[in-house]
Amino acid sequence: MLKTTTPHLYIRRPSPTTAEFTVTTLPPLTIPLRLLLLTITLLRLSTVLAATVTIYSRFSLLLPPSTSSSSQPSATTLLLQGDIPTLLTHLLTLAHFSAPGLFLSNITAPIPDKILLPFSSLAIYLALFLQLHTTESLLVLRGLGIQTSSGWSPPFGTSGSGETNTRTNWWKWVGRGGALWGWAPKTRFIPTEKIRDVLINEAFRGFEVRYYLIVVVEGEEDVVVVFPKLLPRKKIVEAVWRGVRGCLYEGDRDSVNTMGAGGGNGHQHAGHGHNSHQGQGNGGQQHQSDGKWDS
Amino acid sequence: MPEHDGLMRVFWPADLPRSDLRGVVVGWRNSALDVFVLAILEEVEPRNVESALKLGTLTRNAPHPVNRIYELCGQSALHVLGLSNTPESVEIDPSWIRVATGSGRRVPAVTCARASSIQIILFERPLPGRMQYISLNPIALALGDKHGNTRIHSADGLEEIDEKQEHLRKEKKKQLVEKLKQHSIFKRVPSSKERALAKIVNQINWAWELEKLMQKNVSRIGTRPKRSLSVSERVVESATTMRDTAIVWIWNLFVAYVLPVIKKLFVLGLMAHRVAAEVLLTVLEWRARPRYAALKDISATAQQVEIRLQQFCYWPMQYVTLRLRKNDWESVTTSHPDYIRFYNSLWLVANDVIIGIALGSYIIDNSAWVGEQISQLLTRYTVDALQSSISWLMGWPAGLKLNSELALFLGDLFLWVIEYWSSCLDTLRPVLPHIVWFIGFSSFAGASMPIAMLSDLLSILTIHIYSFYLASARIYHWQLNILISLFHLFRGKKHNVLRNRIDSCDYDLDQLLVGTILFTLLFFLLPTVVVFYLNFAIARMAIISLKAVFDTMLSFLNHFPLFALMLRIKDPGRLPGGIRFELRDTQDFRHAVNDTSSKPLPSTSIIHLKSIPLNFKAMFYQYFQMGHRIRKHYLSPRVVLCLLTGKFVPPLNRKNLYSLQYSMLPAQRAGIMEMWDAVNSLPAPKKRTMPVSIPALSNGRRYPSNYGGGRTRSYG
Repeated sequence: MLKTTTPHLYIRRPSPTTAEFTVTTLPPLTIPLRLLLLTITLLRLSTVLAATVTIYSRFSLLLPPSTSSSSQPSATTLLLQGDIPTLLTHLLTLAHFSAPGLFLSNITAPIPDKILLPFSSLAIYLALFLQLHTTESLLVLRGLGIQTSSGWSPPFGTSGSGETNTRTNWWKWVGRGGALWGWAPKTRFIPTEKIRDVLINEAFRGFEVRYYLIVVVEGEEDVVVVFPKLLPRKKIVEAVWRGVRGCLYEGDRDSVNTMGAGGGNGHQHAGHGHNSHQGQGNGGQQHQSDGKWDS
Repeated sequence: MPEHDGLMRVFWPADLPRSDLRGVVVGWRNSALDVFVLAILEEVEPRNVESALKLGTLTRNAPHPVNRIYELCGQSALHVLGLSNTPESVEIDPSWIRVATGSGRRVPAVTCARASSIQIILFERPLPGRMQYISLNPIALALGDKHGNTRIHSADGLEEIDEKQEHLRKEKKKQLVEKLKQHSIFKRVPSSKERALAKIVNQINWAWELEKLMQKNVSRIGTRPKRSLSVSERVVESATTMRDTAIVWIWNLFVAYVLPVIKKLFVLGLMAHRVAAEVLLTVLEWRARPRYAALKDISATAQQVEIRLQQFCYWPMQYVTLRLRKNDWESVTTSHPDYIRFYNSLWLVANDVIIGIALGSYIIDNSAWVGEQISQLLTRYTVDALQSSISWLMGWPAGLKLNSELALFLGDLFLWVIEYWSSCLDTLRPVLPHIVWFIGFSSFAGASMPIAMLSDLLSILTIHIYSFYLASARIYHWQLNILISLFHLFRGKKHNVLRNRIDSCDYDLDQLLVGTILFTLLFFLLPTVVVFYLNFAIARMAIISLKAVFDTMLSFLNHFPLFALMLRIKDPGRLPGGIRFELRDTQDFRHAVNDTSSKPLPSTSIIHLKSIPLNFKAMFYQYFQMGHRIRKHYLSPRVVLCLLTGKFVPPLNRKNLYSLQYSMLPAQRAGIMEMWDAVNSLPAPKKRTMPVSIPALSNGRRYPSNYGGGRTRSYG
């Protein structure tokens, strides 16, 4: 059900000096997929609601609404008064005594407290924080620096097509909601001054070889891995690496040109030595390619 | 000729008022194609603005020295950067930018003759009045890391091994970093744009205050007429001035005669307390020898008192720093972490006292009952439970056939000591309510005091368990050692101490015989000793974990980042954790532009600069570190090995455990004289001057200042 594809790359480049490389597992947004995502969102919401009502009705003393509604003011007046806690209690009580609420409490009645509480908390947690797709991006700004971000960020489409707009708006909305819940992408900005190098590294992981992009930061012990969760294929990594080199540095015009012309045979391997990358925890033989173009 | 690639960078405040009027864009020019917009001055001539900038008219009437602005923003002068909403026909300097803004446009359209591509970086200006600011690095809630270099090497070996390993790991990492450095072939020299980032952050922090200042002064160069006051307004004004004069007169009397006396008395009282604190601190920190433990290392109460005293010594210094902040521009952000620290510690102490009063009054009211409970708990768990477990061990526990003679001997020994101890407890019982009353009374100094005292009381009242643990551990350890060496003898080997290895050795027959017999004997006696050892080791661990609970409560009461958390919820802008950029879509931007002008824009990217609020993990960083340290100390395999072989498990050094609590205090407290100087260096409160008003001039222009000098005449 969770439609994910292999990671693929979107590039947004409004001007030659600014580029955003986004790697995402989210397939292109077709109508059925959007419907599916919408359904999932609704499902999340209803799960949270159901779990909250279940916990509330189990663990608080409830009076039937006949006695309480007469004395208590209605929800709108409470909202206008700004009395949020009372409003919430009121709403939860209403939800409990509604038909689905009673049905829910009937179903969960045989489950003992000890099991119910952790399970409903877990359900709330999962519904709020489970991510279906992973999106990671790299923003390159000439003269400023590099920003890596990973987590829930709106995946923008390829640059320039007309339908980007609607897609963007939809995702912006989701993204804004996400920022509220702590889904906001984790970003890390590295000023150009502190970038020592941007390299493609090679490492053994299990029984496969992975190529990944790293940023060596001046005065820091650990290198920064770009796209740390997805670790996309070599082709994508190479494309991003070339884009970064072309975009980041002022006066590297020839390298920008090279990027356009001779894309194919990329870089020579200066393969020696153990690299000092600790993040992956794989102590295999690694060698790296650095920015020497054989022209 | 455009510089390098013709990339122009424009920093633009997103919350700058948008209007359709013509205006002059003023700001900083960091380099030829790197501009920072501060303000748009409307309806003024660019030439006038330029001369006003040269003469400093726009920064006149600044509340604080103007040089400070230039110093912190890294530029020597403000510049005219361009024009806004001017028609294409007007000829302008090629380095100037041409901006089109307006109410219908979210993002200004910027063009420049020299630039081939443009980055517009929009930012929300932090409000200095609310102490918001942005920074490249996360705000430091703790004082700088000073424990790394001043740490006193503790006597016990375990800690040293830990430290050595840490050191080795660091060395290795450093080598790897060096190796990584060799991989980069050439070092790029950063361009002026890249180096400007730190300056730009400062400029962003200053943007709000500077814009307000310039907008206030724009009337000096503009042509906008100001109307003079009407007659009725003047009457109202003179009446209020009359009232103000009276109030100011009384206030000045108060300031001149009463306030200095109060202040002097307060400072003297403060200094007296400071001297007393110094004496107490010296007692608490006194060590008989440099390596011996001081009183504060042993007792939790002493430690707690020391923390409070240290805080008391630090507060006046902090307060003075914060007061000096008032004499500077609001945009200077260096003292904001100090502010948070100061109020955090004040708030924590206040909280502590409030909880302490509630707790203390309860304890005092029920001291008899609480004392009774404590003595009951003590007898139940530290006497009865221990006695019954020892008796159980003496009679073949769980079907284990122990050596009854040895078990009887050991059990009798311990039981006898316990009996003696319980008689001691009995004599203590009548005094206990008084002790409890005293503890309750001490809690008016904060809830942390009774907790610390309880922790100390616990260690005093369970001293017998500690000694049992020591004794049984020692016996067990000896026996294990003897067994190991006899086992070597059994195999015909021996331990060579000089080379620290196992050598072969030719033993005589009688040696072998006696050794083997002894080995068998000791081996069969081992389980009995093990059982007793385990019993006491478990009791000891229970007490240690109980004390750990107390310590955790203490550290929460003393160090919880309450103020920071509140700020994080109320106003995340005050706790910057770095910056973040967001690339915006240029679609709607382009459309909006195409409506108005036919000329194609240079390729433009719109970037939003946002401040990341500090994340919660960074706020609790100290706690994580402490937890890590405790885990490393107590859950390491070496400690388990110590426990298994009966070696003494050293408790974690209090200094390490409490580095957390000291992170809010300076390593070296300020001396008495230093504090005296600091308290006296406080600037005198500003004398409130008479509300001076200048009669409206005949040409109708009215200068809004008290500094105008000249004639001072008040109405009425």
